[in-house]
Amino acid sequence: MALIDYQTVLGRMLREQRSDDHLRDVTLDERESRYIENVRDSAEFRFYASVQRSWCITRATKAAHLTLSLLPQEERQRLLDEWIDSGAGAQSFFFVEADLFLDFLGKRLSDRPRELTMCQFERATLRAGDGVSYFVAPDPASLQNPDCFLRRGSYAGLVRFEKGSNDVHEQGPLADLFHAGMIVMFSPGLPQLWHEPSAEEVDLWEVLDQPASVRTLLSHGHSSETLETLLSQGAIEYEYEK
Amino acid sequence: MSPQDNPQFPPNGKLIQPLGIGFPYFAELPADLYRSGLVAFVEITPETLCRQRATATTPQIEIVPNRLATAQETCAGLPLVIHGVELSIGSAHGLNNAYLKMLDSFQKEWPFVWHSEHLGFQTIAGDNNSTLEIGVPLPMPATVEAVELVAARSAMIQQRYRVPFLLENPAHYFSALPADVEIGDEYRFLNAFTEKSGCYLLLDLHNLYCNAVNHHFEAREVIDTLPLDRVIEIHVAGGSWRDGFWMDAHDGRVPEPVWELLEYVLPLAPNVGGVVFELLEDYAVRLGTSAIEDELRRAWQIWNARHGAN
Repeated sequence: MALIDYQTVLGRMLREQRSDDHLRDVTLDERESRYIENVRDSAEFRFYASVQRSWCITRATKAAHLTLSLLPQEERQRLLDEWIDSGAGAQSFFFVEADLFLDFLGKRLSDRPRELTMCQFERATLRAGDGVSYFVAPDPASLQNPDCFLRRGSYAGLVRFEKGSNDVHEQGPLADLFHAGMIVMFSPGLPQLWHEPSAEEVDLWEVLDQPASVRTLLSHGHSSETLETLLSQGAIEYEYEK
Repeated sequence: MSPQDNPQFPPNGKLIQPLGIGFPYFAELPADLYRSGLVAFVEITPETLCRQRATATTPQIEIVPNRLATAQETCAGLPLVIHGVELSIGSAHGLNNAYLKMLDSFQKEWPFVWHSEHLGFQTIAGDNNSTLEIGVPLPMPATVEAVELVAARSAMIQQRYRVPFLLENPAHYFSALPADVEIGDEYRFLNAFTEKSGCYLLLDLHNLYCNAVNHHFEAREVIDTLPLDRVIEIHVAGGSWRDGFWMDAHDGRVPEPVWELLEYVLPLAPNVGGVVFELLEDYAVRLGTSAIEDELRRAWQIWNARHGAN
């Protein structure tokens, strides 16, 4: 059997454990096909499959520990299964894996506001923490140019902890933040990565849902001091960066 | 400069300066461990000091400057060896060039005495020239094609970094791997590899022990068939049972039979530069420095019996 066929089929069988399509685009003779089927039926392969799946689950669980802890066991398992059955979960670099999983999770929690907030919190923490290694406060001089465009920072985030009523998670993780209805801004240039933003900072963040020029922002009443402060923290950045 | 001009490079497989006992670098462990005198050299998996960044074309692996600086400060003065995990040297669709580009930069920042990787593959080709990670490392078949692929790539890597390049014998759970009669089996693969590539071996005794336990053979009999003059580094590690298999989990102390294998092999392997007690970082923190130091002292006892105490 050609090496690439052997590896492709074995790799697919592990990545796509609930699929029978691992022989697509691969030409094997009868003896080779029988070998592959024997491998797939073996206790040794089942062990590999079990280890692979458990490692994928471990990585995902580490990425979204708080969010998953809020979900009922069945729902948690259903989401993890969906994630891993899609072929995901095998990235070796934690940030890449965690960011992808939190993105996946966030898209499936629209009817669970508390869990969605927790997911946004974990993703904002992850990204701001990752950004610490790269963030260098930019020169504020460009803010003097009214045609300079600004956008939300690549490593920044804003999370709204909505106060719920009669919520079963009132005693859960970060319950104080939910109870206070707190808004938290994450920025890689802040010593603790987060702060409670002012109303003007929140407004600016919302406006920068789309990039905007300094001229536009100032004309809408945002102060140059706020622009400079958030720029220095990495909450916003010049559009030409990255 | 040719490899032979490099004083750290063993000409024709002859001696490399023996270092002693090494230990992996873990940011989570106290720096004092690396300054205790029990660690003669440090083994770094450079990817742990890196992040992956997706670009418009291909992923890149970038060194994170503050992680590198912390590691250099912690390990100041200790010789460095590299033990990579991301190369996937046996992947038929291609090895991880992003890893090699990262290692180019790494070597400029922090030169290393030798460089090792795992013999196996962990990626396959996806659609549109993408690379898919499998999620677990898998063993190579003992075929002519596989030997030639890995040997050519290894020779290229050894030339690129001008230090010895070692491949580690893997632990795996398949009782029989595909094999060509010209190669024989996975251990004769190692002989063929060193002959064809001019490269070296990292003999992982715990991996060998795992395979011996799971596939029912005598580890010493296999050791006797290996090209022991090509062994530059030895690993010892711990494992645990899972679902009826002894697993190469790197999760604790070294089992007694693995220590016995070290005692057996050291006098037979004339060019060993160092022995590393391997652990995963999470388990290193759980095991604690006191237990780690116990294992390092045990390794030193065996090393000194062969090389004499300094």
